[in-house]
Amino acid sequence: MTKRVSSLGLIAILLVFTAASALAATKTTTIHVKGMHCKMCSASVTKALKAVDGVQNVDVSWEKGTAIVDYDDQKVTEERLREVVNSTGFQVVDEKTE
Amino acid sequence: MRKAIASIFLVVAVQILVVGQAQQAPPVVLKDLTGRTVRIDAFKGKVVMLNFWATWCPPCRAEMPGLIKWQREFQEKGLQVVGITYPPTKVQDVRQFTRRIKVNYPILLGSKETKALFDSSEIMPVTIIIDRNGMVKDRIEGIILPEEFEQKVKPLLN
Repeated sequence: MTKRVSSLGLIAILLVFTAASALAATKTTTIHVKGMHCKMCSASVTKALKAVDGVQNVDVSWEKGTAIVDYDDQKVTEERLREVVNSTGFQVVDEKTE
Repeated sequence: MRKAIASIFLVVAVQILVVGQAQQAPPVVLKDLTGRTVRIDAFKGKVVMLNFWATWCPPCRAEMPGLIKWQREFQEKGLQVVGITYPPTKVQDVRQFTRRIKVNYPILLGSKETKALFDSSEIMPVTIIIDRNGMVKDRIEGIILPEEFEQKVKPLLN
């Protein structure tokens, strides 16, 4: 009985640690993008970001000039995400400039 | 009973016809940058990537070096990239840009109507994949990812 309780306790601790590490790996960043003027533009940025391994969710707004990205920081860096946005022909800026 | 069978036959025949028509690339005739007339169906026998683009569209410009590279690498296997401009188009800008990046495939001057023949979306760029028999096989929205080229274009070149 004691053994069973200890095993269950161990499993519970492992689950908590696994969940905690999974949560810690997910980050959200807002990338400011210059040059998007229509829906067509945001679609290209969305497609490019979604194709990156580790990206979990993407919300690109051409009106706001932003790309909000949920990503696994164990698989991809924010720097890489910024490079991907730049590769679509738009320009990543520090903050909204237009 | 005979009428019912005839009706079913007619419906199936019409569907086959409609599907067939939908897949065949429409016969498009456009001018190139030198004013020459070019028919899209003149490329029959090749795998055609019909790329709708515009000088004012940053993703369109960004993907063109990739198209140039694929045209160079797979030309001998029968790949033919064809760029079709989308308005508003300043021909001078198109000339300057395509010269600057050394485009190695034909650029034709299109219109909204030209794009509408192949694609009803508002997305740009859009690339239509046409097989050697002139049949529309696929369409790729946005910048073409290398894996999309591998999956959707390369198998047609074999």
